[in-house]
Amino acid sequence: MTVTEQEITDYVARVRAVLADLSPVQRDELTEDLADHLAEFAAETDGTLVQRLGEPEAYAAELRAAAGATGPGGRNLDQRVASAVVRARGRLRVLDSRLGPILGYEKASDFLRLLRPAWWVLRGYLAAMLVTLITTGGDFGPLPRFGGELLAGLIMLVGFVLASIWLGRRSGQLTRWPRWAMHAGSLVLVVFALAALGGAESRRDDGLYYDQTSVDSQYSQVRDVFVYDSEGKLVENARLFDQNGNPIRLGYPDCEGRVDEYGNPLLRPYPYCVEQAPFGFRAPNGRVPTPTAVPTPTATTGPTATPEPTVTPSGTPSAEPTPTPTPTS
Amino acid sequence: MDTTQLLKGVLDLAVLAVLREEDGYGYDILRRLREAGLEEVGDASVYGTLRRLYAAGLLTTYVVPSESGPHRKYYALNAAGRDQLTRSGKLWRSFATTMDSLLDDRGMAA
Repeated sequence: MTVTEQEITDYVARVRAVLADLSPVQRDELTEDLADHLAEFAAETDGTLVQRLGEPEAYAAELRAAAGATGPGGRNLDQRVASAVVRARGRLRVLDSRLGPILGYEKASDFLRLLRPAWWVLRGYLAAMLVTLITTGGDFGPLPRFGGELLAGLIMLVGFVLASIWLGRRSGQLTRWPRWAMHAGSLVLVVFALAALGGAESRRDDGLYYDQTSVDSQYSQVRDVFVYDSEGKLVENARLFDQNGNPIRLGYPDCEGRVDEYGNPLLRPYPYCVEQAPFGFRAPNGRVPTPTAVPTPTATTGPTATPEPTVTPSGTPSAEPTPTPTPTS
Repeated sequence: MDTTQLLKGVLDLAVLAVLREEDGYGYDILRRLREAGLEEVGDASVYGTLRRLYAAGLLTTYVVPSESGPHRKYYALNAAGRDQLTRSGKLWRSFATTMDSLLDDRGMAA
């Protein structure tokens, strides 16, 4: 016997709900030993009650007709809802068998049933991502994190996926309320997933206009390099090398009006465009220099370039920091 | 018109007839009706009919413990039930004869 007491109780409750418009006496007459009858029935057949007998709403309608109980004065809301549910299920069944052959199956639901384990895994992942959102705040990538910790996030992911599979394999045995809770939870996760997809899509659109951050280098946004010594003085003609002596090339000289005297522009020392220094110079003794005290960057202005007056205004550090690229991955 | 619609009118009679030969419990009655050729009859229809006939005083019930599984509630015809079966049976016979000759007259093969 595969049918549980709880399943029978639920089935009877749903049948009684549809018959709610009958007088209590009439309804009890029809359903007082329905539970015993169903238990009897279940003992001799295989499968769940719904598989064997159809939905309780349809069963109630048949029972009502057979018992000749029409009920006082038309149909109430419960009945209308119940018959609408029965009709909708009928349409779904038709759709189910129409769409099936397109997918190469007898019914579309046969195909969807095969995808259920995949949904269980996805559900676990979505749950982990929801926890990531709650514990980490808005800024995270496609991998789950727990309070910003990737390892804890991955452990959580494995746990959630296993739990979701476990739950999925046992969903048939759940009683009414736990099953409702599970469906509600799944719905929340689906809504969350759709919202996250929408967010990712709009971020992609933004990226077309503003975000130049590349995934392989967080320095790809850098256009120029300004080296300051310990005195806060801008170092000109600086060259950068890595541990192997290879020059570090960042940015690209694109100052307006500059004529390039080095041939290969990537061999030029930093900064390329001294007048774009984010902070003004500070004289070694700490005094604020007058504009005349600013050394003309002769080295970077070639013979063909007229010594143009530096446009760096005063010695006060300007409040214009370079935008720091935020790593997003 | 399909069998389901026809059944509505005569399920009472069919259930009474099945119980005439032998007492039976819900699923057993359903099985016997189906074996007799009423394959489209549903459990709810049979159960509803049994409840109605019982409420009308045509049936008696008794419970038989089962070794495997739940107790079984057996239904049996009482005197009023047998009476009803006789009357309904006659009515059906004459109705069926009328319908048969009506169709025969118009050249419908059986």
